[in-house]
Amino acid sequence: MPTLLQKLFSKRAVGNGSARDCSTGAEQRWASAEFDLAQIRLIVYQDCERRGRQVLFDSKAIHKLDASEPTADETKTPPNRSGACHIGSQANEKDKPPTYQYTRPASDVNMLGEMMFGSVSMSYKGSTLKIHHIRSPPQLMVSKVFSTRFGSSSTSGSTNTLQDSFESMSQTFPSHTSSSIGVRHVPSAPLLFLARSASFFAAHSNPVDMPSRGHSEDGDSGIARSASLSSLLATPQPSPGSSFSSGCASSYQRRWLRSQATSLQHGPMPRWNAEEMFNLSDESCSSNPAMIRRKKIAISIIISLPEREEENHNFQEFFFSHFPLFESHMNKLKTAIERAMIVCRRIAESSQRVQVYLCRVMEALGEFRMTVWNLYMAPRISEPVWLSMISQSAERNLLCQRFLKEMSLLMEHGVKSQFLSALLTAVLTHHLAWVPTVMPSNLPPIKPACQKPTSQTVDLLAKSHPYNPLWAQLGDLYGALGSPVRVCRTVVVGRRRELVQRVLYILSYFIRCSDLQEHVQPQGQKDNPANPCTSPTTDPNPANERIGEKTFPPPPDPIKPIPGTFMEQNDETLSTDTNSTNTPTGLEANTFRPECTEMGPECFGEHVDSVGGGLEHILANQSPLLQRVQFHIGSPREVENVGQAGGLTGMGCGGRGLDRKLHQRLLTDIRRNESSDSALGDSDDEETSSREMYMAAEQTEYELPLPSSQVESRASVNHFGRSLLGGYCPQYMPDFALHGISSDLRLKQCLMADLEHTVLHPALDEPVAEALCIVADTDRLSVQVVTSQRQMCEGGRLGRDVMVSNLIHTLITSVLQLYALNIAADFCVMHLEDRLQEVYFKSRSLAEYLRGQTRVHVKELGLALGIESSDIPLLAAVASTHSPYVAQILL
Amino acid sequence: MNALVALCHFCELHGPRTLFCTEAVHPPSPSPPQPGSAIPGEREREGDREGEGLTMRANSSATQRADMCEGCRSLPASHPGFVSVDGETGIRYLSHQHPRQPQLFSVVRQACVRSLSCEVCPGREGPIFFGDEQHGFVFSHTFFIKDSLARGFQRWYSIVVVAMDRIYLINSWPFLLRHLRLTIQSLQNTALKVFDSEQCVCPQRAVRMNSAFSPAVFPHQRSGNAARSLTSLTQHSNLWDSLHSSFSWLLKACGSRLTEKLLEGAPTEDTLVLIERQTEQEEEMSGWDGAEGGGSNPQSCQSESVQAKDFQFDDGTQEDLIGPKFKSLRHLRQVLGTADFRQLTWHVLMGNQVIWRGADPGLIQSAFNVLKALLPVGCVRAVQYSPHYEEAYRCNFLGLSPDVPIPAHVSSSEFSVLVDVLNAERGCVNPVSDDDILSLYQFHISSANTQPTDKGPTLLNKLEVALSNENLSVEVVSLCLLCLKEEWMNKVKVLFKFSKVDGRGKEDTQKVLALLGATGPGEEDNVRLLKFWMTGLSKLYKSHLMTAVRGGERTLSQ
Repeated sequence: MPTLLQKLFSKRAVGNGSARDCSTGAEQRWASAEFDLAQIRLIVYQDCERRGRQVLFDSKAIHKLDASEPTADETKTPPNRSGACHIGSQANEKDKPPTYQYTRPASDVNMLGEMMFGSVSMSYKGSTLKIHHIRSPPQLMVSKVFSTRFGSSSTSGSTNTLQDSFESMSQTFPSHTSSSIGVRHVPSAPLLFLARSASFFAAHSNPVDMPSRGHSEDGDSGIARSASLSSLLATPQPSPGSSFSSGCASSYQRRWLRSQATSLQHGPMPRWNAEEMFNLSDESCSSNPAMIRRKKIAISIIISLPEREEENHNFQEFFFSHFPLFESHMNKLKTAIERAMIVCRRIAESSQRVQVYLCRVMEALGEFRMTVWNLYMAPRISEPVWLSMISQSAERNLLCQRFLKEMSLLMEHGVKSQFLSALLTAVLTHHLAWVPTVMPSNLPPIKPACQKPTSQTVDLLAKSHPYNPLWAQLGDLYGALGSPVRVCRTVVVGRRRELVQRVLYILSYFIRCSDLQEHVQPQGQKDNPANPCTSPTTDPNPANERIGEKTFPPPPDPIKPIPGTFMEQNDETLSTDTNSTNTPTGLEANTFRPECTEMGPECFGEHVDSVGGGLEHILANQSPLLQRVQFHIGSPREVENVGQAGGLTGMGCGGRGLDRKLHQRLLTDIRRNESSDSALGDSDDEETSSREMYMAAEQTEYELPLPSSQVESRASVNHFGRSLLGGYCPQYMPDFALHGISSDLRLKQCLMADLEHTVLHPALDEPVAEALCIVADTDRLSVQVVTSQRQMCEGGRLGRDVMVSNLIHTLITSVLQLYALNIAADFCVMHLEDRLQEVYFKSRSLAEYLRGQTRVHVKELGLALGIESSDIPLLAAVASTHSPYVAQILL
Repeated sequence: MNALVALCHFCELHGPRTLFCTEAVHPPSPSPPQPGSAIPGEREREGDREGEGLTMRANSSATQRADMCEGCRSLPASHPGFVSVDGETGIRYLSHQHPRQPQLFSVVRQACVRSLSCEVCPGREGPIFFGDEQHGFVFSHTFFIKDSLARGFQRWYSIVVVAMDRIYLINSWPFLLRHLRLTIQSLQNTALKVFDSEQCVCPQRAVRMNSAFSPAVFPHQRSGNAARSLTSLTQHSNLWDSLHSSFSWLLKACGSRLTEKLLEGAPTEDTLVLIERQTEQEEEMSGWDGAEGGGSNPQSCQSESVQAKDFQFDDGTQEDLIGPKFKSLRHLRQVLGTADFRQLTWHVLMGNQVIWRGADPGLIQSAFNVLKALLPVGCVRAVQYSPHYEEAYRCNFLGLSPDVPIPAHVSSSEFSVLVDVLNAERGCVNPVSDDDILSLYQFHISSANTQPTDKGPTLLNKLEVALSNENLSVEVVSLCLLCLKEEWMNKVKVLFKFSKVDGRGKEDTQKVLALLGATGPGEEDNVRLLKFWMTGLSKLYKSHLMTAVRGGERTLSQ
């Protein structure tokens, strides 16, 4: 009899009901289609001033020679849907590594080389990213082009270079058998090439291996454009006078900084990871960074797209929305290739050198393929509790009941070891996105009283200063809200599927992120505003041919815009309020009304509210845009007062109206928390410059209405909240914020390297000081935290055991006792949120206590603030999301 | 979207050119920029932009304009450009031939050159993403436009979308591709019609075949027609207005393609009560306006309004008063002494009536302000300073002038405490400072209460530990108090739910009290506190629980 949990996990399972064994059938698969490992091809290309272009690797041109071991050839045997993609372990177990042969390169490599490097070489020293879409056969190509760096190693000046080897090889071609010498595997030490000491504030120190740009200290410090780290310097400190800060303050701050850090208005800015090179300098020798030859290396991943249109579309949507993860794995691949090249240089014998190189690169490619396959195909939690509660408020009661029932069961199961308390202590300490969701809002609630309101300030910010919501979500899931920035994942290990799934289900309530909605133009919309030549009435009319350019009205009067935009020729959905003037020469200014001409600030809102675009509407509406099924992009054009043309000052006042209001709201929400930040510097210059830019823009351009279009809103499928909460997976996954596995074998192999990689190449696109992984073992009922800052613990253990926070333990206990007393589940969950809010308030006290303290008296904390030593790590982490100085004091 | 869109053209005479550019100008930052975050755009441009493989350095628009032909131009030099304003957000979409923001000029130029001269797209038409941290990131789509007079009968264009947020730009690939294809196909189709009609009139192939070896074939020598404008190729007289609208829309739609639903915590009970009182007050005010002169009791009106006002202008009113004041609970404790302070605060927390009688209303008010912090907002009913006694049901904080008699039923009640503020006997005329309250006054506390006040409630015990620890600043103590109050308020909610909403029996209630940690030493006081605080819950919360429980039971029975 299937358990409730199995039903939950299978609710949206994709698949055609084929005979999947019950061990995998219970969870949702992400992809609806097969994905073949051979669909991923790797090309390494070199572009050298002296030698021209040369293919250094092409997986399509590499064949495994030993046919007696077909199982190891992963490209030939893609894993079946229910199974994991296992690679590498077999090869390691064999005494003899596979032998590869490099055959004639594929016919398309020249073209691909052109695409990677471009027809004209660029002298830019940093790395370049490119993505191409190849139409036939349909493929996506992602390339990273690097400048190379050589160290003055002992092998310098020798001829032991890879291209020499290839050249000598191609001479012996096709007598390939002679070069097929098996090479013993070099033990694959997980030590990473660029590994640097990850101290707590690693991001502050200059990464030694990175070449210096030499023009600006900030540019190299790694903190220049980091939203979260800069918040460390300048986050408003909560003022003691206010009893609480706005709930959205820290979320808002993070997003605002991101929008600024990626703003086009500031022009290109050097970033924390700007100059990444292809490093061929030997670590063991003193490298000379000055030795940069004019040589570039491109690494390209080519993914064959599915033939079927829908599968193709689905994969592309997934690929582009999850690009940061793909890129992170490409970086890992690049590091492996660097190492392969360095290692093989030391080998004197040419064919052996090639074998070492090919083996290592093939192994790295195998890893990459498997990771991508798993990322796309692994099962997900079909109903993550938190996101489901946000999006399906109608089912809230049911969800609460399920959630508490599962939690009670788990509590009973691990009661002796305090397993659940330990796990939640760790999760709440490191996946910090729950904190903003309990920080009290100080805005009046609208209807569903006492339920959590959506953040209105963040809503407004997203509209006026767009940032990437996917980025925000990724940071939420990894818990990157504190300072210094740390990212965390949680892996639940256990042989009992049901138990692991129960843990995952429960954690999907505590590991939180925002929900994303996508707004799309309906299919087959006739008059898409992207189309500049919509109407058939714009048939070319020779008489008008050159008029468009010659009869522009003279510029002096900016109030009179030029007539006859194409918009008016659109269909009735758009044109009802616009005077159609098909005669382009008609200069009757008053027949055409630009929207929003002359509204004084006080009349704002009166004019713009009926269709839903006005600010008043937004403020009155609990969650603008989000819950309506349809709305318009673009402004309503219902301004009827033609006669109000007059001064110039009114142009765009609607915008300033909103700006003013937004400003006020944010001032009250944010600035109230700022006590004395002016000490950090004068911000006036900055403000005036951006203001000037905005004002300067209000010159004399002809104003045209902003087109609007029909929009359908739907829950976004391809977002991290859905994709990074994994189910019970066949194998350990390095990307998931949460997932379960049956065995920790591979986890033990990969985890440290993955964590170090995360610090070096965070998918989050901002510097990360520390990467962590919570490993919960349901068989042993243990919870450990593994960190990138610590090498293997004694006794082969991965990490440290978690100290149970008393606060969390009593919290869970009392919530579950309430539930046991038959109090409505809905209320129990509300109580749980209240208790989490208490944790937040406690963190405020701790932060305030630490503010004036040089030494922490743990005993005093316990006596005076009720903060026990077991609670300190949790509370300090929570406090660092609103009071960044806490981390500095505690260390 | 934090990006710009530009139409670029590979001119047969002049190479890659930016024709038309739509940029989004955002309103000035709503939040003060952070000095530490190194955001300023003023940072010096890096010098190493020189030495590009190509001559990619941004020419000034002036020098570029000198060698421009029809094909390299969109708007005439005298044209002011276009603007569209998004009234909701204040974002302005500006279109000109070149970007207005100087720092973007070279970025766009670079994108244009790379899209048309450097990057290779199979089939020459299609999407590419490229870019780096120094030059920005570009989504480019190249395409041909038919031209009966051009070499090969077509001209090469690209539309580039430039942004610094490479992740978002890549995330947007499917969206941009879908919509730019519409734009491009629309331009191509329109131009194709023009091409066909021109070919009907004068088939160029034949013309060219006939003059096969004439030097006039070379485009730069075909005077005048060498480079036709896109307007001419499409015969779309309002092409640039239309493109402005399309590009502006694209930027807006791409920026709002994804929206976040981000939750924050529910407001605290104190916030809810404040809002409720404010609303009530506003309603009453409007009610009085109508009833004025109608014989309502002005006295009660006054005290009501003082009381309501008191919540919002605590600090303001206190600062208006001169003379000595209590500044904090710790200060009050120092002045009264620990024993009296304990007794007084115990009464406050139990919900007993606290009466202060004295000649200095400012001092009394400051005492109330400090003491009120012990309670949830909903439990505070204060009459600051009254010429006569007010009943306990009307107020739990009552200030009285020295000569007001206390009724016998009050002075004999265990549910009230009286603090008499007496002039200090020393009669010091010039007090050393306002702080020195004891040099001016003596305090005498009396109550008919016989209960011990030193056992509970737990909240008070914990608070006293914090107050007595001089290491803790006043701010820490007040946050500590806030934590304690929230903690006990959450217990209050549970008890309310349990006893008032669900109507559970005594036995069950005792279980709940135990799991809430309200039992044990001081249990009696804890329970009294919980019961008193229950009266301070917001109406909103109570009614929510009343309705929610019905909803919940329905689902349970299903």
